[in-house]
Amino acid sequence: MSTSGLAYTGGVGFALWRRSLLELARVRGGLLPTTLAPLIFLLGSLGQFGRLDQLVGFPTTSYIAWLVPLSCLQAAGFAGGATGANLARDIEAGWFDRLLSSPAPRPLLILGPVMAAVTRCLVPVTVILAAGLVLGPGLTGGLFGIAMLYLAAVSFSIVASLWGITLALRARSQQVGPLIQNGVFVAVFLSTAYTPLPFLKGWLAVAAPYNPVTYVLQMGRQATVSGIEPSWAHTWPGLLALAGMVALFGLLALRQLRRVDR
Amino acid sequence: MNGAEKLGRRTDATIEAEGLERVYPGGLRAVDGVDLAVEAGEIYGFLGPNGAGKSTTVRILTTLLRPTAGHARVAGYDVVKQASQVRRSIGVALQEAALDPLMTGRELLQLQGALHGLRRAESRSRAEQLLERVDLVDAADRLLNTYSGGMRRRLDLAMALVHRPSVLFLDEPTTGLDPVSRSSLWGELRSLNDEGTTIFLTTQYLEEAEQLADRVGIIDHGKIVAEGTPQELGRLVGDPGLYVKLIDPSQSDRARELLAVHGSVSDRGEGCLSLRTVLGARAIAPIVRTLDEAQIEVDAVEVEEPTLDDVFLAVTGHRAEEPGEDGSP
Repeated sequence: MSTSGLAYTGGVGFALWRRSLLELARVRGGLLPTTLAPLIFLLGSLGQFGRLDQLVGFPTTSYIAWLVPLSCLQAAGFAGGATGANLARDIEAGWFDRLLSSPAPRPLLILGPVMAAVTRCLVPVTVILAAGLVLGPGLTGGLFGIAMLYLAAVSFSIVASLWGITLALRARSQQVGPLIQNGVFVAVFLSTAYTPLPFLKGWLAVAAPYNPVTYVLQMGRQATVSGIEPSWAHTWPGLLALAGMVALFGLLALRQLRRVDR
Repeated sequence: MNGAEKLGRRTDATIEAEGLERVYPGGLRAVDGVDLAVEAGEIYGFLGPNGAGKSTTVRILTTLLRPTAGHARVAGYDVVKQASQVRRSIGVALQEAALDPLMTGRELLQLQGALHGLRRAESRSRAEQLLERVDLVDAADRLLNTYSGGMRRRLDLAMALVHRPSVLFLDEPTTGLDPVSRSSLWGELRSLNDEGTTIFLTTQYLEEAEQLADRVGIIDHGKIVAEGTPQELGRLVGDPGLYVKLIDPSQSDRARELLAVHGSVSDRGEGCLSLRTVLGARAIAPIVRTLDEAQIEVDAVEVEEPTLDDVFLAVTGHRAEEPGEDGSP
């Protein structure tokens, strides 16, 4: 007997989520790249720019407190971007044709991998947060701050996975992998990644306020940056930015999915 | 008027297409006006070399690719307007069994069951049935990267059968398999067909089409150039043939002159001659007598049934193994 409606949707979504996560369970070190790279960025940037926290007006006395949310977001972005690279691999291998030839509603075919990206990003985000706490910053934002940091990271992994899926469906080739990750890197870099808005100069000072990632970072920094205290004012711009990016890249991914048979 | 009537075909055709075309961006015309009518319960062999348009046709019929012109219906549903219903009705095993190497056979079958809306318990029991059917019970919990090519193909077939489809599309299912695996898969396909499944099979192997197909369509450069039962297609080649091997090759020219009265003779070299004659096997006695009277010793005389290879050569002017000019899909 076949299922219908919500049970069917849930069954397909769960099956594809599980399949996407098998790689983590069965490939040794599957999470290492998305965990190690942001961790190395964190430590490298701390060495490079660690004394910025001594600047007058810097919103925290611990530069690592400024960096930890950035690294968490990077990790979430890389984990999300990997969804696109994996999809491109599936397209090249013919696996995606198998999914497309099934009666499963097309949006479900990307929902499972997106949810897997969310699950996958939790590991590096937690590792980086733990490493950051060991290295210094306290959780100045308390439980609310932590919740906002995780919400920002998880949502950003959704954005990155939808971006990756869009490119993978468009290019249908694994060669698109570096472009996906570069997109994530650039989006994060062109924000208040390393310094607050008032400290930026030139073109970046102009660009960063228009970059939604700036506000997502602000939302996440409520967890560790004492100068960004937990408040609705520091939260809603990030939520709005995330909602906008999810909507935009979600629509682009669905549009590309509809064109996959053309 | 339903779609089949609009297409002017028998309404019991399970797969039907009229004027099907696919032009890829860039102008490559991979499918160029294909008409098809495959009846329920048939095994239809779709034969052609690489680049002839077989896979593109299958991708259109399985809703993976939109036609740029023409119409097609599978199991009574339009492949463009009712794609979801088509997908519910068909099983698909495309070229190069696409299976996740990090999953086990059992997991893949259960995933396929979920995609087709089977409840978890039914998905499990269906997986068991199919693993038994394709003789993969012992390998069911091994990762796919440990499977041989034949095992992967059998699992691919099992996945296509999870939801008990009425129509099965198989795109070159035995390409790359050893003869034993190929023969085993053929047996399974015959058995499925005996159970009532309509099978649309593309192949580059003439022998496969001859062994399995009730009817065969030959596609070349995107067009169907011949269609019929293997026997009907055999008749396209012309008169039946006889193969004559002489003991002394130096007598070939003389033998050729003498046999010309019985039909059309061609010299295949090294004392071997081919004779096309309306008499077929009945010409054996007269030609042996003729050659004997001329003191030309005969080593062997055999009837040559025309193969699909001969048909392919006759209708396209080139052998099936040769790729299409454009190397298109």
